[in-house]
Amino acid sequence: MNKNTLTINAFSMQDVTIGPKYHLTNNSLEIPDHPLFSIDDRLKSVTVKLVDPKNCHFKINTIMDVIPISTKVLGNIGYGMSNTLTGVSVILTGADETGVQLHEFGSSNGYLDEKIKFDTDGTPSSDDVVILIDVILKSDFEFNRETCEMVFNTADQFLQPIRESLKILNGREAAESFDYEDIKHPGKPKVAIVKEVAGQGAMYDNMVFAKEPGGIEKGISIIDMDNMPILLSANEYRDGAIHALV
Amino acid sequence: MGIGPSTKETTMHHFHDPLVRVVSSDPDVDFQGVILVGTPQDNYLKNLVGRRTAFWLEAMRTNGAIISADGWGNSDVDFMNTMTEIGNKGISIVGLKFIGKQAGFVVENEHTKFVLDINKSKSGTETEVVGENNLNEKDAHKALGLLKLKMRKDGQVTK
Repeated sequence: MNKNTLTINAFSMQDVTIGPKYHLTNNSLEIPDHPLFSIDDRLKSVTVKLVDPKNCHFKINTIMDVIPISTKVLGNIGYGMSNTLTGVSVILTGADETGVQLHEFGSSNGYLDEKIKFDTDGTPSSDDVVILIDVILKSDFEFNRETCEMVFNTADQFLQPIRESLKILNGREAAESFDYEDIKHPGKPKVAIVKEVAGQGAMYDNMVFAKEPGGIEKGISIIDMDNMPILLSANEYRDGAIHALV
Repeated sequence: MGIGPSTKETTMHHFHDPLVRVVSSDPDVDFQGVILVGTPQDNYLKNLVGRRTAFWLEAMRTNGAIISADGWGNSDVDFMNTMTEIGNKGISIVGLKFIGKQAGFVVENEHTKFVLDINKSKSGTETEVVGENNLNEKDAHKALGLLKLKMRKDGQVTK
């Protein structure tokens, strides 16, 4: 395997539905409306619904994250092959049962269509089907890093069965396929990017090097690395080496 | 202050990061990679992580760098400190950050004029609308253009 090249196969979802179980084909996805595993004791409920960005004037809890669904097929994050779903994306929202919102500095709870700008790099496309995962904590919860990570982890666990099915789809049947190479340009000025990211506490954190693209499992918090600089290649970055916890 | 809904970078944003996309695909620069650095609470650590970032760039023989931040407020201390540490190594440095009408620099120095504002809101404020004030592809092109000019002015480009 060429460690310089990352291939991303994109499977375009034309039909996303709620059903009794997970089922993925080259162009359709069925998911349950709640986690099929037992949820953490601190949680009151986790509900999942499908949303059309063109018709979403209803109230939501604060948006904790927008997450792509992607999985490693060959190699590690940054090289080899990944399979990714397009036409579908995930919004994670969270609060406690009394309405206390899970955020660090400013909440985006309110009407969904007024609280998100669709069609940016960090938000769903208005043509996507959005999987809205709403996590409700019991009222006696402690707002700390551990609780927030548990919430992110619950969403990650809900998505993992989709990734497991996505791994075994045949890349040749993908709607699109992209090869990203780390190309050197000797003699040109050497340029680097420095990205300063949050690393101070609950809902003010970032996780790197999880097993799955944009995943949580095995990820390392930048706070636990004392915020020290680390070097990532462009391919690691675009293969989901970072999971935001903001 | 910290990271508001309109400036926070979601997992999806990192996945599609426009700055990485633009700089890594430009044939006029030899792209080296992304240094990801956190924003500690402690002042000693704030200075330390900025210094370590500058040491790395120097060891990589970097000519120019673009620094971006996903928040504002106390993280501006890290931002300006890291810019200064990098600049002191003789490396050309430009920045991208939300400024608008509420997040200007408390203290200005020789580097602040090379920081571009990524605000998109009409009000120039943290609007609490997710995605509204994020760095986009246009910001990335502007920053790379400015960096190319600055590298030329700083004598980083010999030809």
